[in-house]
This record gives sequence, structure tokens and C-alpha cells, in this order.
Amino acid sequence: MLSSADFREIAPYLYEVPQSYRADMRVPARFYADSQLLEGVLGDRSLEQLVNTATLPGAVKYALAMPDIHQGYGFPIGGVVATELPHGVISPGGVGYDINCGVRLLGTHLEQEEVQPYLDALASALYTNCPSGVGKGGHVKLKSGELERLMETGAHWALKRGFATAADLERTEEGGCLEGAAAGTVSPRAKDRGRDQVGTLGAGNHFIEVDVVREIFDESAAQRIGLFPNQIAVQIHCGSRGLGHQVCSDYVKRFQRSIHEYGLRLPDRELVCAPLSSPEGQDYLAAMKAAGNYAFANRQVLTHHIRHSFEQALAGKVKNFQVYQVYDIAHNMAKIETHEVDGRPRKVCVHRKGATRAFGPGAPVLPAIYRDIGQPVLVPGSMGTASWVLLGTEGSMTQTFGSTCHGAGRTMSRHKAKKSVRGATLRDELEAGGIHIRAGSMSGLAEEAPVAYKDVNRVVKVVHGAGIAKMVARIEPLVVIKG
Amino acid sequence: MGRKTESRSRPNSEPLDFEEIEHTADWALRITGSNLEELLCNAARGMNSLMVREVGADGSLLEKPVELEAIDAESLLVEWLSELAYWAEREMLVFERFAFHALTPTHLKATLYGRAVSAMEKHIKAVTYHNLKIAPTARGLEATVVFDV
Repeated sequence: MLSSADFREIAPYLYEVPQSYRADMRVPARFYADSQLLEGVLGDRSLEQLVNTATLPGAVKYALAMPDIHQGYGFPIGGVVATELPHGVISPGGVGYDINCGVRLLGTHLEQEEVQPYLDALASALYTNCPSGVGKGGHVKLKSGELERLMETGAHWALKRGFATAADLERTEEGGCLEGAAAGTVSPRAKDRGRDQVGTLGAGNHFIEVDVVREIFDESAAQRIGLFPNQIAVQIHCGSRGLGHQVCSDYVKRFQRSIHEYGLRLPDRELVCAPLSSPEGQDYLAAMKAAGNYAFANRQVLTHHIRHSFEQALAGKVKNFQVYQVYDIAHNMAKIETHEVDGRPRKVCVHRKGATRAFGPGAPVLPAIYRDIGQPVLVPGSMGTASWVLLGTEGSMTQTFGSTCHGAGRTMSRHKAKKSVRGATLRDELEAGGIHIRAGSMSGLAEEAPVAYKDVNRVVKVVHGAGIAKMVARIEPLVVIKG
Repeated sequence: MGRKTESRSRPNSEPLDFEEIEHTADWALRITGSNLEELLCNAARGMNSLMVREVGADGSLLEKPVELEAIDAESLLVEWLSELAYWAEREMLVFERFAFHALTPTHLKATLYGRAVSAMEKHIKAVTYHNLKIAPTARGLEATVVFDV
């Protein structure tokens, strides 16, 4: 385990483990924290995992971790590593098993007071219409060849099937479709796992929330992205389901064989990787994009179910129950991007494992509606606490390969959370606080107790203070749906 | 890695077969066995303990044949548990008894016996290679497996 003697503060909220710390490091390792978060970081093995990522062949500048860093497997959660093209590596473990796990934020024209009497009915409608939990299939039946089209076109598939609007796609990272996805690089077992899970939430830390916009920090930015005080909004947090999990498992297995051919040595087998220029690397990139597109389609179908739920619960009771998309982001992905390295623009593969792309104003890939203000960043907090809407900045482009935090970050193991919190008691406490809960598993609810997480407000203050995102709005939950 | 938090032993107080250990984000098990076959059985039972409280005796006993190839014993352990996690996700099947017909560190042929359950406590998304090493001990073999949940 690293100690405070192994790193130094190089700027406000920014610490560096020098490359000299370990002989196999190819670049230094940097992480963002304040004094309190730093204590938590030293409490598990996340910094050691961060140092391990600094050994990846082709890594440039530095390996990074956001202030929500915590122990994962291979990469720490909150890790960002950029590897140079063409011969740097791509690591499936640097993306994670839930490929394109991400967050979608939806806005409404409703204020809290209008919806308050109907929240319980809305919670029930959402729980009924949005399948959740282990082994639950979705309502969408795919015809022969349709899963392959879905994987190759993502949210465009959903648009053709009537599950999306053009505005939804415009307000989705990559327009909801990662180019270069190839269904042929995805195994039959992965397809089998994904075939009946389109439009499902899953279990674990995934959720749907109905929220209220509690505080605005940047009025003009909030107005631009369609947020206002006391507004009802909705968050979806989920990813590529069994299909993505299997894609990662398949390529971690394949790379265990091929890594010896490329003569690569790593400190942890979960970091296994292949050169981006290799057939294995190219196949994984195409399969990862296919799974990423599946995730975009999944969140899009859930959006359709949410719109239906709003209609069911609110039609005839409020004036306008229309639900529109604010933005949709990925926080488990690897992407080929151009960033400045050694004073010149270079093509790199940016791995974000529990980190959010946060492109600043002017980035050409942003939709026209947001290009001059920067990319919206969605940071869900722990259940029952706050979530945040941020914007990408110039600082994120120069400091973090256009990346920022993705959530609160755990501090307590699931095991310990279950020992110290009873799910039913937690549900009652949240209900008493005015939050409507629908959950399939009380033990799963206990594992996600707020006490198991860092303070998301503190995490956000660090990224804001460090200049790698800026605060726009804080939202709080009124309804929580969990598998 | 981490400290021992809970142990489960067989009723006749034979050596520990698996125990949960601390992991911030996911679940981890330390597994022991006198040989590779026992290690695989105990790993399966350990994973079952994460997924369900008990299998129960309701429902018909089902069997599935399985044959796996891997590059080494650690990979075989990951493949084995991944196979069981797959059936848990797809058909809510939990296997408790295993008949091995062939077993080397790189190849496995077995029949799985188990039952469908009505609900799962936990979804195992994947079985990871994180710091995975099957190490010899005085009593046989030991490995720590981290699960993505």
C-alpha cells in the first residue's frame, strides 16, 4: 500500500506519484483529492491499482484518477489512461465489464408541487414498466438480425423502432452511435445474453430516479441545457447488461493468450491488453463499440418506458408531462481522441474506467446546442443524496484528457454495508424523508446505502476547484427505482 | 488483500473452503481446496453463497454437461465460475453438485447438477483475473477471486 510519503501535492487538489516510485512505471500517476478524500484513498488499494495502470505500454503524460477513486479490479474505479496510437495498447479491464455504463438525464416542464400528489403512482408505473433485477428480460422482442443492427447503429436502431426522437440522439454522447462497431466481433454467447435484455435496468448500483432540481449554480448554462429550479427531472444509470459483460470476459480471456505473443508484462492479469494495431486490439475495439451501442439503445428504450410511465401516471392530472433529453454520457469506455501530448496534438486511446468524458467549450464532437458552453457531465450521487450536473472545461482538456469524475465513489465494502445497514430500515428511513423507493432486493438496497459512499458534494467541489469541470446544478431524488 | 470478514466451514469442521474478504466496490472470496477439483467445487459453492441464500429442494434436479479449455489453472477457474454465472443469469440455475469426468489445469469435462431458484440475491456480472493466482499451501491450494457485481 502507498503512504503519503510516496506522493506530493503539485497543485491545489492534485497529487502525483513520481515515475521513480516503481521501476515498471512508464509515466507518473496523478490523482485529484482534498484532505478528507485523501484519507479515504489511503484506506484501500486504489492507489496501488492506479500505479499499476501507469505501466501500460504506450501510456502518455500520466495515469490519472478522479476524486471518486476507489478500489476496483485491474484499473481503480475513477481511472483514466491514454495510450498513443498506433502501437499503444487497449485494455478491456480499463473499460470494465459494464461497457458504456453511463447516465442519462431527462428534463420535464413540471415543477415538484404539480407532481408531488402523484409520485407514488409514478414510482409504481416506472417499476412496472422498466424491468429490473437479475434475470429479468425486457419487453422488446428482436427479430432475426435485429440485434446485430442494434449493435452496429445504437440509438439509431431505437429511432427507427419508434423508441427515440431525433433530439434524443442529438443530445447523446457520440449521437448514440459509435462508428466502427462490428457485430461479427461479438461472440454468440454475448449475443445470447443480450438478446432479451434491451430496455432493462439490471441490478447492483443501477437505478432510475425521479429528481427535483434543488439548486442552480450557473443560470445561463442551466437554461441552455433545459434545467430550472424546482423542476422535475429523471436520471437513468445502467449499461450494456449481459452482452457487455460477456464481451469484456471474452476479450480478457483472448488477450491472456495473445499477450505472450506481444511480449508484454503486466503487474496484474486483469490489466491484460493488446496493441491497438494488432488484430486482437482491433477486434476488441469493434466489439467494445458494439456493446457501447447496445448500452445507448438500452438507455434509449428505458427512456421510452419512462415516457410511457409519465403518461400513465400523469395524463389528465398535469398540463404537460412531456419528457425531453438533456444529455447521455458514458463512464466506462475507451475512445480514440486527439489530445495535446508533448506540445502537439496526438491521437490517443483514452480509457475511462468510472470516469466521464468532459469536453470543454468548442470541442467539434459536441452537438451544436452545447458546443459553446461545453459538454454536460452527469454525476449521480449515492442513493438518497444529491446528484450533479456539470460542464466540461478548458481545464479538463489540458489536465485530464477531457475527463472528470463519474459519481460519489464507494468508501465501504458491500459486505460491511450489508452488515451495518438493514435494507428494510433504510427503505423506511428514505420513505420517511419523502423519497419513494421501489427495490427488488432489500440486501441490494443495503449495499447501496449512502453511508457506503463518499460525499458527492465534496467530490464535485474538488473537480470544480481543480478546474476539470464546473458546477451547473444540484438535483435531489424523489423516487428511486432499483433492481 | 483485505481482512477476513466471514468464514464458512463444512459441518464436520474440516478446513475452511471459502471465505468472503473485504473489497470496496465488488465481492471477493478466498477459496481453498486440497486439490484442483476441490478448489473448483468450493469456488462454485462460494459463488453460490453470494448469489442465493439457499437453493432449497423444490423443483426438479437438472443436469448440464460442461467442457472448458484454458491456458492455465487460473484461467480454468475463471472459465468455470463464468460458466456457472452464465446459467444463473440466463435460467436462474444454481448448481451444487459436480461430477468431474476429466480434469487437468487446462481442460475440464464435468456434469453439473442443480436447480432453478425463484430469486437471486446478487447478480454476478463477471469473474475477474484481478491478482488471481492459485498458490500451493500446506493444505493444498488457495486462490482469491474478485467478482464484478
